[in-house]
Amino acid sequence: MESLSLLLEGFAQAFTPMNLLWVFVGAFLGTAVGVIPGLGSSMAVALLLPVTFSLDPVGAFIMFAGVYFGGLFGDSTMGILMNTPGGSTAIATTFEGHRMAKLGRAPQALATSAIGAFIGGLIATSLVVFFAPKLADIAVMFGPAEYFALAVFAFIATASVVSDSVIKGLSALAIGLALAMVGIDGISGASRFTADVPQLFDGISIIVITVGILALGEVFHVASRIHRDPKLSAIAVSGRPYLSKREFREALPAWLRGTAFGVPFGVIPVGGAEVPTFMAYGTERQLDRKRRDPQFGKGAIRGVAAPEAAGNATSGTAMGALLALGLPTSATAAIMLAAFQQYGLQPGPLLFERNADLVWALLASLFIGLVVLLVLNLPFAPLWAKLLLIPKHYLYAGITVFCGLGVYATSAAVADLYIVLAIGVLGFILRRYGFPLAPIMIGVVLGPLAETSLRNAMMSSGGQVSVLVDSPVTWALYGILALVLAYTLWRRVTAKARQDV
Amino acid sequence: MTTETGNTADTAQEVLAVEQPADRPGFWAGRSGLVVAGILAAIGAYLTAGIITMDVPEGAKAPGPTFFPILIVIAIFVLALLLAVQTLRKPEHVTEIGTVHRFHTDWKSLAFVFGSFLAFALLLIPVGWLISAAVLFWGVSRALGSKRPLFDLGLSLVFASCIQLAFGAGLGLNLPGGILEGIFG
Repeated sequence: MESLSLLLEGFAQAFTPMNLLWVFVGAFLGTAVGVIPGLGSSMAVALLLPVTFSLDPVGAFIMFAGVYFGGLFGDSTMGILMNTPGGSTAIATTFEGHRMAKLGRAPQALATSAIGAFIGGLIATSLVVFFAPKLADIAVMFGPAEYFALAVFAFIATASVVSDSVIKGLSALAIGLALAMVGIDGISGASRFTADVPQLFDGISIIVITVGILALGEVFHVASRIHRDPKLSAIAVSGRPYLSKREFREALPAWLRGTAFGVPFGVIPVGGAEVPTFMAYGTERQLDRKRRDPQFGKGAIRGVAAPEAAGNATSGTAMGALLALGLPTSATAAIMLAAFQQYGLQPGPLLFERNADLVWALLASLFIGLVVLLVLNLPFAPLWAKLLLIPKHYLYAGITVFCGLGVYATSAAVADLYIVLAIGVLGFILRRYGFPLAPIMIGVVLGPLAETSLRNAMMSSGGQVSVLVDSPVTWALYGILALVLAYTLWRRVTAKARQDV
Repeated sequence: MTTETGNTADTAQEVLAVEQPADRPGFWAGRSGLVVAGILAAIGAYLTAGIITMDVPEGAKAPGPTFFPILIVIAIFVLALLLAVQTLRKPEHVTEIGTVHRFHTDWKSLAFVFGSFLAFALLLIPVGWLISAAVLFWGVSRALGSKRPLFDLGLSLVFASCIQLAFGAGLGLNLPGGILEGIFG
């Protein structure tokens, strides 16, 4: 029960008026960014990073705790009301959620999603509190070969599972890896692909890449279609979001099942919460078919509850993987990693020893953040939808200015603005031709880890490649990867066969 | 992140397009996706040039700084080739139904947004945050279809000043003052 007393200390640290204010501000801004279509929780974290620069580390991470979950609460609101999911993790929620809204049950759908996000986040964060220190103990046994296996796992899984075309997924991954190579090589000190531009010696910052690919690319994408796409309209919400006792009982098993799907995926690097949300959605649909009165297609409350809980559960345990292993399993976690490094902290097994107070304050704020978000989102979800009353051109103009601000504020270098513009154009082109963007982020994030661990492993073995598959941990990782690939292949083949019938 | 909802709509349009005989399209119609293969090849070429000209410090242990990039370059060229073959064999369907141009890009708006951001980057240091951010806001809102240029001008100045106050004065971020240096602290 050592964790519990440490957590209580964390709460004591987080419960100052000032820190509570930061959680609230973070949750508020995170929801606001998440609500905007096309911008998910990773953008919320990237755009709000500069806001935290003038805070002390504890205050900054307390605020991040709010932002982190806030983006996830926000993105399903728009999905339900307008059929435009704010991020890829909200797509599964949107199917049944928007149907519920069309049938006049928008308040119930919003409430189901908010409570689902709360339950998923709460259970996952509790698990992190009790198991992250143990995970850190295990992580000490990980050597370079094991870390390389983890990175390869993340690369292949993201590129092949998440995207619909393997070639497109791998291409996006290769672009990400190439971006990660720029800068001074940490092992030998050689300057790589910098064209002797001093601003590139430190490499291209993850914030520049995220803002460019995800935010600026999205603005370009919206601009390219501004006179093309039909106008969207939100469904008006009447009444306060609430659930009757019957609806609550109906949704409860789905929330729990969704959480069960989400929890393991926070630690497995497959590029975020898309996979578990769709798995949770698919399972609920299967179960629904066996019931006497199938609800799916008619606005099933369980179709909203399960994916939403899964998404937030994934993010909760992803935070655990980041803190204990130093392993970012999603783009959002990767930017959090950048934030840690900005303060000179290195997440990983040692963090729990060296910066225990900060870690526990952060974990405690995740709980506080969840409660704040439930309060912000349950009664006020319809108010958030009013954000969309801001004309689209002002909304995106504001986002663009924030892109500029965020990039300039992190480095105070104008060169970064040119780089982000170029990367934004790249992001637009890739969006235009239907390339997945998650593999780019994973490549950028885990590229350096993959390279250093590969080279360290081979240096210590004197150039033997066999060192990479020398331990039981690596066998297990490559084995699971093979199973995942086989399952994906099997699913694609059967899906095609079913289409033909 | 991915535009999956958009894709389903796209496929619906493709189905329609097949039914409507369009004018005989040129070779490039629906094959503009080759651009991505081209970009990949260009990245590969840049990396190759970088690997050849790299100054590897003496005493660098093998595998050295070029080892991992070489693996990536090989992957990039293979993928570029595969992409090119895939695009050549299965071009995108071109749609010409009424006024709906799902696959066509609004180059004018796009260039306007691009230009605004470039202007922002160029102006930031010489004239300061306030004016360059206002230019950016004004340009993007204009590109995205705002019809009130004068009102926008006021709004963008107010927006830029709010950020300057909140982040510069409030949170202590150092935003360049430019020609207005001294007026704002």
